[in-house]
Amino acid sequence: MNGVRDESAGRLEEALARLPRSVEPPGDLWPAIEARLEPRDSRSGGRRWQWPAAAAAAVLLVAASSLITASLLRRDNTRDDAVVAQRSPAPSGAVLAPAAFGPGQALGPAYLAARGELARSLEARVARLPPEGRLQLERNLAELRRASEEINAALELSPGDPLLEELLLNVYQDELAVLASVNQMAAGNGGTTNDPTRMQL
Amino acid sequence: MTEPEAGSEFERARRAADERALVESAKRGSTAAFETLYRSHVGKVYGLCLRMTANTAIAEDCTQEAFIQAWRSLPSFEGRSAWGTWLHRIAVNAVLAQARRRGERTGADAPADEMAARLPDPTAGNDGGVLDLERAIAGLPAGARRVLVLVGVFGYSHEEAAAMLGLAVGTCKSQLHRARQLLGERLGAPEVDA
Repeated sequence: MNGVRDESAGRLEEALARLPRSVEPPGDLWPAIEARLEPRDSRSGGRRWQWPAAAAAAVLLVAASSLITASLLRRDNTRDDAVVAQRSPAPSGAVLAPAAFGPGQALGPAYLAARGELARSLEARVARLPPEGRLQLERNLAELRRASEEINAALELSPGDPLLEELLLNVYQDELAVLASVNQMAAGNGGTTNDPTRMQL
Repeated sequence: MTEPEAGSEFERARRAADERALVESAKRGSTAAFETLYRSHVGKVYGLCLRMTANTAIAEDCTQEAFIQAWRSLPSFEGRSAWGTWLHRIAVNAVLAQARRRGERTGADAPADEMAARLPDPTAGNDGGVLDLERAIAGLPAGARRVLVLVGVFGYSHEEAAAMLGLAVGTCKSQLHRARQLLGERLGAPEVDA
Protein backbone atom coordinates (compact mmCIF):
# COMPACT_ATOMS: atom_id res chain seq x y z
CA MET A 1 0.00 0.00 0.00
CA ASN A 2 2.79 2.37 0.92
CA GLY A 3 4.51 1.67 -2.37
CA VAL A 4 1.41 2.67 -4.33
CA ARG A 5 1.04 5.77 -2.24
CA ASP A 6 4.68 6.75 -2.68
CA GLU A 7 4.50 6.19 -6.40
CA SER A 8 1.40 8.32 -6.72
CA ALA A 9 2.87 11.06 -4.54
CA GLY A 10 6.02 10.94 -6.62
CA ARG A 11 4.03 11.42 -9.82
CA LEU A 12 2.28 14.40 -8.28
CA GLU A 13 5.60 15.92 -7.23
CA GLU A 14 6.94 15.50 -10.74
CA ALA A 15 3.84 17.02 -12.28
CA LEU A 16 4.06 20.02 -9.93
CA ALA A 17 7.74 20.52 -10.66
CA ARG A 18 7.05 20.43 -14.41
CA LEU A 19 4.52 23.24 -14.24
CA PRO A 20 5.86 26.40 -15.86
CA ARG A 21 6.91 28.91 -13.23
CA SER A 22 6.67 31.79 -15.63
CA VAL A 23 3.28 33.02 -16.81
CA GLU A 24 2.97 36.14 -18.91
CA PRO A 25 0.38 38.59 -17.60
CA PRO A 26 -2.51 39.37 -19.97
CA GLY A 27 -1.19 42.85 -20.70
CA ASP A 28 1.90 44.95 -20.21
CA LEU A 29 1.89 46.04 -16.57
CA TRP A 30 4.97 48.22 -16.91
CA PRO A 31 3.26 51.53 -17.85
CA ALA A 32 1.08 51.39 -14.73
CA ILE A 33 4.06 50.44 -12.59
CA GLU A 34 6.31 53.11 -14.06
CA ALA A 35 3.68 55.77 -13.39
CA ARG A 36 3.87 54.95 -9.69
CA LEU A 37 7.64 54.89 -9.27
CA GLU A 38 8.77 57.81 -7.17
CA PRO A 39 12.00 59.41 -8.36
CA ARG A 40 14.82 58.12 -6.22
CA ASP A 41 16.15 61.57 -5.30
CA SER A 42 12.86 62.65 -3.71
CA ARG A 43 13.39 59.88 -1.20
CA SER A 44 16.61 61.35 0.06
CA GLY A 45 18.23 60.00 3.12
CA GLY A 46 17.15 56.50 2.37
CA ARG A 47 14.72 56.47 5.28
CA ARG A 48 12.64 53.38 4.82
CA TRP A 49 9.24 54.70 5.73
CA GLN A 50 6.48 52.30 4.98
CA TRP A 51 3.10 53.95 5.07
CA PRO A 52 1.92 52.27 8.27
CA ALA A 53 5.04 53.37 10.07
CA ALA A 54 4.64 56.87 8.71
CA ALA A 55 1.02 56.94 9.80
CA ALA A 56 1.96 55.59 13.20
CA ALA A 57 4.66 58.21 13.54
CA ALA A 58 2.20 60.93 12.66
CA VAL A 59 -0.32 59.58 15.15
CA LEU A 60 2.34 59.35 17.82
CA LEU A 61 3.56 62.86 17.27
CA VAL A 62 0.17 64.53 17.01
CA ALA A 63 -1.24 62.68 19.98
CA ALA A 64 1.81 63.24 22.16
CA SER A 65 1.94 66.90 21.27
CA SER A 66 -1.75 67.15 22.08
CA LEU A 67 -1.04 65.58 25.44
CA ILE A 68 1.63 68.11 26.24
CA THR A 69 -0.52 70.95 25.06
CA ALA A 70 -3.37 69.67 27.16
CA SER A 71 -1.14 69.32 30.17
CA LEU A 72 0.24 72.83 29.85
CA LEU A 73 -3.21 74.21 29.56
CA ARG A 74 -4.36 72.20 32.57
CA ARG A 75 -1.55 73.67 34.59
CA ASP A 76 -3.20 77.01 33.97
CA ASN A 77 -6.44 75.59 35.30
CA THR A 78 -8.16 75.71 31.98
CA ARG A 79 -9.34 72.13 31.85
CA ASP A 80 -12.09 72.79 29.33
CA ASP A 81 -9.67 74.36 26.94
CA ALA A 82 -7.37 71.37 27.36
CA VAL A 83 -10.03 68.99 26.19
CA VAL A 84 -10.63 71.16 23.18
CA ALA A 85 -6.92 71.21 22.46
CA GLN A 86 -6.76 67.46 22.60
CA ARG A 87 -9.46 67.16 20.03
CA SER A 88 -8.03 69.76 17.73
CA PRO A 89 -5.35 69.35 15.14
CA ALA A 90 -1.81 69.88 16.29
CA PRO A 91 -0.93 73.44 17.17
CA SER A 92 0.16 75.60 14.31
CA GLY A 93 3.71 75.98 15.55
CA ALA A 94 6.30 75.30 12.91
CA VAL A 95 7.56 72.11 14.50
CA LEU A 96 4.18 70.48 14.63
CA ALA A 97 2.82 71.66 11.32
CA PRO A 98 0.40 68.96 10.18
CA ALA A 99 1.48 69.46 6.59
CA ALA A 100 4.72 67.72 7.40
CA PHE A 101 2.86 64.46 7.90
CA GLY A 102 0.81 64.05 4.81
CA PRO A 103 0.60 60.83 2.90
CA GLY A 104 3.69 59.61 1.14
CA GLN A 105 7.10 58.45 2.01
CA ALA A 106 9.32 61.48 2.57
CA LEU A 107 8.51 62.10 6.20
CA GLY A 108 11.91 61.46 7.64
CA PRO A 109 13.52 64.88 8.22
CA ALA A 110 10.35 66.67 9.36
CA TYR A 111 9.37 63.82 11.60
CA LEU A 112 12.79 63.58 13.15
CA ALA A 113 12.93 67.34 13.76
CA ALA A 114 9.53 67.35 15.39
CA ARG A 115 10.33 64.29 17.42
CA GLY A 116 13.51 65.91 18.65
CA GLU A 117 11.53 68.92 19.77
CA LEU A 118 9.07 66.66 21.51
CA ALA A 119 11.87 64.76 23.22
CA ARG A 120 13.31 68.01 24.60
CA SER A 121 9.90 68.93 26.03
CA LEU A 122 9.59 65.53 27.59
CA GLU A 123 13.03 65.71 29.18
CA ALA A 124 11.91 68.46 31.50
CA ARG A 125 8.93 66.41 32.55
CA VAL A 126 10.98 63.28 33.03
CA ALA A 127 13.36 65.20 35.28
CA ARG A 128 10.51 65.82 37.65
CA LEU A 129 9.72 62.14 38.02
CA PRO A 130 10.84 60.19 41.08
CA PRO A 131 14.02 58.15 40.42
CA GLU A 132 12.29 54.80 40.30
CA GLY A 133 9.67 56.14 37.90
CA ARG A 134 12.38 57.60 35.70
CA LEU A 135 14.28 54.33 35.66
CA GLN A 136 11.20 52.37 34.71
CA LEU A 137 10.36 54.85 31.99
CA GLU A 138 13.83 54.72 30.52
CA ARG A 139 13.76 50.94 30.55
CA ASN A 140 10.41 50.85 28.81
CA LEU A 141 11.40 53.35 26.16
CA ALA A 142 14.72 51.60 25.53
CA GLU A 143 12.92 48.30 25.09
CA LEU A 144 10.46 49.81 22.65
CA ARG A 145 13.19 51.50 20.64
CA ARG A 146 15.14 48.28 20.47
CA ALA A 147 12.00 46.54 19.24
CA SER A 148 11.34 49.14 16.57
CA GLU A 149 14.96 48.93 15.40
CA GLU A 150 14.75 45.18 15.10
CA ILE A 151 11.47 45.32 13.24
CA ASN A 152 12.83 47.95 10.88
CA ALA A 153 15.85 45.75 10.23
CA ALA A 154 13.56 42.83 9.50
CA LEU A 155 11.54 45.01 7.14
CA GLU A 156 14.69 45.66 5.17
CA LEU A 157 14.92 41.96 4.48
CA SER A 158 11.23 41.48 3.93
CA PRO A 159 9.78 44.74 2.64
CA GLY A 160 6.03 45.08 2.94
CA ASP A 161 5.68 42.17 5.34
CA PRO A 162 2.21 42.75 6.80
CA LEU A 163 3.00 41.09 10.11
CA LEU A 164 6.13 43.18 10.63
CA GLU A 165 4.25 46.35 9.71
CA GLU A 166 1.56 45.52 12.22
CA LEU A 167 4.18 44.84 14.87
CA LEU A 168 5.77 48.20 14.14
CA LEU A 169 2.43 49.91 14.52
CA ASN A 170 1.96 48.18 17.86
CA VAL A 171 5.35 49.36 19.03
CA TYR A 172 4.51 52.93 18.13
CA GLN A 173 1.24 52.65 19.98
CA ASP A 174 3.01 51.23 23.01
CA GLU A 175 5.48 54.09 22.88
CA LEU A 176 2.61 56.52 22.85
CA ALA A 177 1.10 54.83 25.88
CA VAL A 178 4.42 55.20 27.71
CA LEU A 179 4.59 58.88 26.78
CA ALA A 180 1.04 59.30 28.03
CA SER A 181 2.06 57.76 31.33
CA VAL A 182 4.89 60.31 31.58
CA ASN A 183 2.37 63.04 31.21
CA GLN A 184 0.16 61.62 33.92
CA MET A 185 3.01 60.96 36.33
CA ALA A 186 4.52 64.40 35.81
CA ALA A 187 1.16 66.10 36.19
CA GLY A 188 0.95 64.25 39.50
CA ASN A 189 -2.79 64.46 39.71
CA GLY A 190 -3.47 60.85 38.88
CA GLY A 191 -6.34 62.01 36.77
CA THR A 192 -7.14 60.51 33.44
CA THR A 193 -7.72 62.20 30.19
CA ASN A 194 -9.21 60.89 27.02
CA ASP A 195 -7.04 58.17 25.55
CA PRO A 196 -5.30 60.08 22.78
CA THR A 197 -4.15 56.94 21.02
CA ARG A 198 -7.60 55.70 20.30
CA MET A 199 -8.99 59.19 19.82
CA GLN A 200 -6.53 60.06 17.09
CA LEU A 201 -6.76 56.69 15.40
CA MET B 1 17.73 29.74 -2.55
CA THR B 2 18.85 30.59 -6.04
CA GLU B 3 16.53 29.42 -8.71
CA PRO B 4 18.00 26.99 -11.17
CA GLU B 5 18.57 28.46 -14.59
CA ALA B 6 19.33 26.90 -17.90
CA GLY B 7 22.72 27.19 -19.50
CA SER B 8 26.34 26.75 -18.60
CA GLU B 9 28.02 27.85 -15.43
CA PHE B 10 29.64 30.69 -17.36
CA GLU B 11 26.32 31.81 -18.75
CA ARG B 12 24.74 31.78 -15.30
CA ALA B 13 27.60 33.81 -13.88
CA ARG B 14 27.36 36.32 -16.69
CA ARG B 15 23.62 36.71 -16.16
CA ALA B 16 24.09 37.13 -12.44
CA ALA B 17 26.70 39.82 -13.03
CA ASP B 18 24.44 41.60 -15.50
CA GLU B 19 21.62 41.46 -13.02
CA ARG B 20 23.76 42.82 -10.20
CA ALA B 21 24.73 45.72 -12.44
CA LEU B 22 21.10 46.38 -13.27
CA VAL B 23 20.14 46.27 -9.60
CA GLU B 24 22.90 48.75 -8.72
CA SER B 25 21.79 51.02 -11.52
CA ALA B 26 18.16 50.82 -10.42
CA LYS B 27 19.25 51.55 -6.87
CA ARG B 28 20.75 54.79 -8.14
CA GLY B 29 17.43 55.69 -9.73
CA SER B 30 17.52 54.27 -13.23
CA THR B 31 13.99 53.32 -14.21
CA ALA B 32 15.38 51.94 -17.48
CA ALA B 33 17.44 49.42 -15.53
CA PHE B 34 14.45 48.64 -13.37
CA GLU B 35 12.33 48.08 -16.47
CA THR B 36 14.88 45.55 -17.71
CA LEU B 37 14.66 43.77 -14.38
CA TYR B 38 10.89 43.91 -14.61
CA ARG B 39 10.89 42.41 -18.11
CA SER B 40 13.08 39.52 -17.08
CA HIS B 41 11.18 38.70 -13.89
CA VAL B 42 7.55 39.64 -14.47
CA GLY B 43 6.62 36.21 -15.78
CA LYS B 44 7.75 34.40 -12.66
CA VAL B 45 6.31 37.01 -10.33
CA TYR B 46 2.97 36.91 -12.12
CA GLY B 47 3.07 33.12 -12.20
CA LEU B 48 3.66 33.09 -8.47
CA CYS B 49 0.90 35.61 -7.75
CA LEU B 50 -1.55 33.94 -10.12
CA ARG B 51 -1.16 30.55 -8.54
CA MET B 52 -1.15 31.89 -5.00
CA THR B 53 -4.28 34.00 -5.49
CA ALA B 54 -6.08 31.87 -8.11
CA ASN B 55 -7.46 35.09 -9.52
CA THR B 56 -6.14 36.88 -12.59
CA ALA B 57 -7.16 40.42 -11.60
CA ILE B 58 -5.79 40.12 -8.08
CA ALA B 59 -2.63 38.54 -9.44
CA GLU B 60 -2.10 41.56 -11.70
CA ASP B 61 -2.59 43.92 -8.75
CA CYS B 62 -0.18 41.94 -6.62
CA THR B 63 2.40 41.86 -9.39
CA GLN B 64 2.22 45.62 -9.77
CA GLU B 65 2.42 46.14 -6.02
CA ALA B 66 5.38 43.81 -5.79
CA PHE B 67 7.42 45.74 -8.35
CA ILE B 68 6.46 49.10 -6.87
CA GLN B 69 7.43 47.88 -3.42
CA ALA B 70 10.65 46.47 -4.83
CA TRP B 71 11.52 49.87 -6.30
CA ARG B 72 10.88 51.56 -2.96
CA SER B 73 12.89 49.00 -1.06
CA LEU B 74 15.78 48.66 -3.50
CA PRO B 75 18.07 50.99 -1.54
CA SER B 76 17.98 48.51 1.33
CA PHE B 77 18.66 45.47 -0.87
CA GLU B 78 22.14 44.30 0.02
CA GLY B 79 22.36 41.27 -2.20
CA ARG B 80 22.41 38.72 0.60
CA SER B 81 19.90 36.73 -1.41
CA ALA B 82 19.36 36.60 -5.15
CA TRP B 83 17.37 39.48 -6.55
CA GLY B 84 14.72 37.04 -7.83
CA THR B 85 14.31 35.43 -4.42
CA TRP B 86 14.04 38.84 -2.77
CA LEU B 87 11.45 39.86 -5.34
CA HIS B 88 9.45 36.69 -4.74
CA ARG B 89 9.43 37.42 -1.04
CA ILE B 90 7.98 40.84 -1.77
CA ALA B 91 5.41 39.31 -4.11
CA VAL B 92 4.34 36.86 -1.40
CA ASN B 93 3.94 39.78 0.99
CA ALA B 94 1.83 41.58 -1.59
CA VAL B 95 -0.38 38.51 -1.92
CA LEU B 96 -0.76 38.22 1.86
CA ALA B 97 -1.51 41.92 2.23
CA GLN B 98 -4.09 41.72 -0.54
CA ALA B 99 -5.72 38.72 1.14
CA ARG B 100 -5.90 40.59 4.42
CA ARG B 101 -7.51 43.59 2.75
CA ARG B 102 -10.10 41.46 1.02
CA GLY B 103 -10.68 39.11 3.90
CA GLU B 104 -9.23 35.67 3.56
CA ARG B 105 -11.05 33.51 1.07
CA THR B 106 -10.42 30.11 -0.26
CA GLY B 107 -10.14 29.30 -3.89
CA ALA B 108 -13.82 28.44 -3.95
CA ASP B 109 -14.74 31.75 -5.55
CA ALA B 110 -11.77 31.83 -7.87
CA PRO B 111 -12.45 31.76 -11.60
CA ALA B 112 -10.32 28.69 -12.01
CA ASP B 113 -11.19 28.17 -15.66
CA GLU B 114 -10.26 31.74 -16.48
CA MET B 115 -7.06 31.34 -14.54
CA ALA B 116 -6.22 28.10 -16.23
CA ALA B 117 -6.69 29.78 -19.58
CA ARG B 118 -3.81 32.10 -18.70
CA LEU B 119 -1.48 29.24 -18.01
CA PRO B 120 0.63 27.84 -20.80
CA ASP B 121 0.70 24.13 -21.26
CA PRO B 122 4.39 23.15 -21.25
CA THR B 123 3.58 19.73 -22.60
CA ALA B 124 1.21 20.75 -25.36
CA GLY B 125 -0.36 17.75 -26.96
CA ASN B 126 -0.60 15.72 -23.80
CA ASP B 127 -3.85 14.62 -22.24
CA GLY B 128 -4.69 17.93 -20.62
CA GLY B 129 -3.52 16.74 -17.24
CA VAL B 130 -1.57 19.92 -16.69
CA LEU B 131 -4.66 22.08 -16.93
CA ASP B 132 -6.51 19.71 -14.64
CA LEU B 133 -3.68 20.09 -12.17
CA GLU B 134 -3.76 23.88 -12.44
CA ARG B 135 -7.50 23.87 -11.84
CA ALA B 136 -7.12 21.57 -8.88
CA ILE B 137 -4.44 23.85 -7.40
CA ALA B 138 -6.69 26.87 -7.90
CA GLY B 139 -9.46 25.12 -5.99
CA LEU B 140 -7.37 24.40 -2.92
CA PRO B 141 -7.89 26.32 0.32
CA ALA B 142 -5.72 29.43 0.30
CA GLY B 143 -3.28 28.33 3.00
CA ALA B 144 -2.62 24.94 1.48
CA ARG B 145 -2.41 26.42 -2.01
CA ARG B 146 0.25 28.97 -1.05
CA VAL B 147 2.47 26.37 0.52
CA LEU B 148 2.03 24.01 -2.41
CA VAL B 149 2.91 26.74 -4.90
CA LEU B 150 6.04 27.82 -3.04
CA VAL B 151 7.33 24.36 -2.22
CA GLY B 152 5.87 22.17 -4.94
CA VAL B 153 5.97 24.47 -7.95
CA PHE B 154 8.69 27.01 -7.16
CA GLY B 155 10.96 24.64 -5.29
CA TYR B 156 11.48 26.60 -2.09
CA SER B 157 12.36 24.64 1.03
CA HIS B 158 9.89 24.34 3.88
CA GLU B 159 12.04 26.72 5.89
CA GLU B 160 12.04 29.32 3.13
CA ALA B 161 8.33 28.98 2.44
CA ALA B 162 7.49 29.14 6.15
CA ALA B 163 9.56 32.32 6.51
CA MET B 164 7.88 33.90 3.50
CA LEU B 165 4.40 33.04 4.72
CA GLY B 166 5.01 33.81 8.39
CA LEU B 167 4.27 30.21 9.39
CA ALA B 168 5.96 27.68 11.60
CA VAL B 169 7.82 25.06 9.60
CA GLY B 170 5.57 22.37 11.04
CA THR B 171 2.50 24.25 9.89
CA CYS B 172 4.03 24.59 6.46
CA LYS B 173 4.58 20.84 6.28
CA SER B 174 1.08 20.01 7.41
CA GLN B 175 -0.39 22.46 4.89
CA LEU B 176 1.61 20.79 2.14
CA HIS B 177 0.43 17.38 3.26
CA ARG B 178 -3.15 18.62 3.20
CA ALA B 179 -2.67 20.15 -0.24
CA ARG B 180 -1.30 16.90 -1.62
CA GLN B 181 -4.16 14.93 -0.13
CA LEU B 182 -6.74 17.25 -1.63
CA LEU B 183 -5.02 17.28 -4.99
CA GLY B 184 -4.92 13.50 -4.99
CA GLU B 185 -8.64 13.35 -4.29
CA ARG B 186 -9.54 15.97 -6.87
CA LEU B 187 -7.39 14.47 -9.56
CA GLY B 188 -9.01 11.12 -9.03
CA ALA B 189 -6.07 9.42 -7.42
CA PRO B 190 -7.48 8.25 -4.11
CA GLU B 191 -4.59 5.87 -3.66
CA VAL B 192 -2.46 8.92 -2.73
CA ASP B 193 -4.22 8.91 0.59
CA ALA B 194 -4.84 5.19 0.80
